[in-house]
Amino acid sequence: MRLSSGKILHAIGLTAVILFTLFPFYWMVSASFKTQSDILASPPVWLFAPTLDHYREIFADSKVLGAVGNSLIIATATTALAVMLGAPAAFALARYEFRGKSDLWFWFISNRMKSPIVLALPVYILALQLKMLDTHLVLILIYLTFNLPIVVWICTDQFKSIPPDLEQAARLDGADQFTIFRKIYLPLGAPGIAVSAIFSFIFSWNELLYALVLTRRDVQTAPVVATSFMSGYELPWGKIMATGTVIVLPVTIFALIVSRHMVRGLTMGATK
Amino acid sequence: MTFLQLDTIKKTFGEMSVIKGVNISASKGEFVVFVGPSGCGKSTLLRMIAGLEDVSSGRLSIDGKEVTYEEPAKREVSMVFQSYALYPHMSVFENMAFGLRMAKLPEDEIKRRVGEAARILQIEALLERKPRALSGGQRQRVAIGRSIVRNPKIFLFDEPLSNLDAELRSQMRVEIAKLHRKLGATMVYVTHDQVEAMTLADRIVVLRAGLVEQIGSPTQLYDHPANTFVAGFIGSPKMNFLTAKVASADASGLRLDHPGFEGGTLSLAHGSAAKVRPGDTLTVGLRPEHLDVAATKPLLRLTADFTENLGGSTQIYARTGDETVIILANGRPDLPPGGAITAGIDPRHIYLFTPDGLAL
Repeated sequence: MRLSSGKILHAIGLTAVILFTLFPFYWMVSASFKTQSDILASPPVWLFAPTLDHYREIFADSKVLGAVGNSLIIATATTALAVMLGAPAAFALARYEFRGKSDLWFWFISNRMKSPIVLALPVYILALQLKMLDTHLVLILIYLTFNLPIVVWICTDQFKSIPPDLEQAARLDGADQFTIFRKIYLPLGAPGIAVSAIFSFIFSWNELLYALVLTRRDVQTAPVVATSFMSGYELPWGKIMATGTVIVLPVTIFALIVSRHMVRGLTMGATK
Repeated sequence: MTFLQLDTIKKTFGEMSVIKGVNISASKGEFVVFVGPSGCGKSTLLRMIAGLEDVSSGRLSIDGKEVTYEEPAKREVSMVFQSYALYPHMSVFENMAFGLRMAKLPEDEIKRRVGEAARILQIEALLERKPRALSGGQRQRVAIGRSIVRNPKIFLFDEPLSNLDAELRSQMRVEIAKLHRKLGATMVYVTHDQVEAMTLADRIVVLRAGLVEQIGSPTQLYDHPANTFVAGFIGSPKMNFLTAKVASADASGLRLDHPGFEGGTLSLAHGSAAKVRPGDTLTVGLRPEHLDVAATKPLLRLTADFTENLGGSTQIYARTGDETVIILANGRPDLPPGGAITAGIDPRHIYLFTPDGLAL
């Protein structure tokens, strides 16, 4: 096999991108196994004697396990609601013409255009007045506003790629709209629905800003707990990094397993 | 007795009128073919019968019951789509059973009906497969099977053969004809292929730009086309048209002048000869297969341009002035390009049309 210069450049570019994205990840994982002095050493220490102390410490801390539990509840509930509400909405957007459809569609996308921090304070005040601070529900609702557009967006695209003839054949076969949705669109749109559910779960699992603003003690999520180890006098990097690794590991493994579908989801509708 | 009745059916999309008032009726068991060039509205018309497209105005009835605004499923029609529209995630059995399940038939009845249809279409061995594991012809059978099981009042076919290759197409054409004979069902079939129309139809409806040009049996349409459009559309290769001047006309017949005619003139007896006057122009229609290059009494004097050897026959492209005449000749006559040829025709096979295209 001959390597063209284009291919070599391509490989160099890809390597650079991989290094750029994986390095912080490496830094986090390696730091979680270093002692505090190795972490703070300058120049950085590349070879070190690994320690499991930080992991022992965080697993002894009931706060961390509780936070992982909170994250699980919130991410799962958000994802379930986003798919249950988003898929039917996507069906309507993909197959029906109605007044205000394009405005609605744009509104869904525009939700993703604003920077989340813009709304952090108003949302905080709203939650305060509704006495919803530090509840699972407030995070589920706020994450839903971020995830619903993604679910609708991906599912609409997926549903649009289903030939309309199928729906018409089903109508002639005597199926009503709900049956068509359930028996034709849901099974055929499953890849898109799965991808949007994965995105939704990962987003809710990783989100820090709103979780930090809207929770106090009872429903702190895992990322919040990781940052809460920072105090005025101490920066226990090892512990923070170990917590970070514990948080990221399940979704990473999950994402690797379904990566084939995720690539399909990201390029959905792009070709054909 | 009229089984399917379309009464001044119209369809508009916004400002655009695609079906401009169509009247068609079909009796029970009849095989009706809608034929016409693309964009003539034939598929829209079929979809209106199915209920997939709203009727803008007019009245549609099936088996004596008005169904103009009825839900598709309640019309008891079934449709075979051009794309087959099989449900990709269901097995062949489930595809065929879907409509029966919607109708909440008992499981053993579903099994019986699907089995019966599979037997008729010889797809029993494929029942467990998914559509993607089938060839084009097999998918076509499954699509037909799906419409058979529901025992519909009318079968609708929307260009069902156009996705198949030529050989399979003619094979399926024969099978659809056999199926029609076996089931004795009313079928409405849309195609742009006049060969399919001629071979399958009891009655052909020729459509153009949202209007019916002519309705009749294949033989009627071939022998007595109502206008130049139908004359050109039915028959392959298409009919030759020459524009001739009327030299004289009386009750006994007329004389037409055209430089391509032998001696520059053609005398012809015609029942409607009295309707034309000397000096009028008429379009003379001659079918390629009726022209005979070996005729002893030639009608046309032409210049051979080009020949296509079709094996058993030869398609000759000839010229007179700037008009082209196509002749379908038996065997392989030796005609050098640029050479003069003559062609004769039985006078019964000469068609005459007025300048606005209507048959004289």
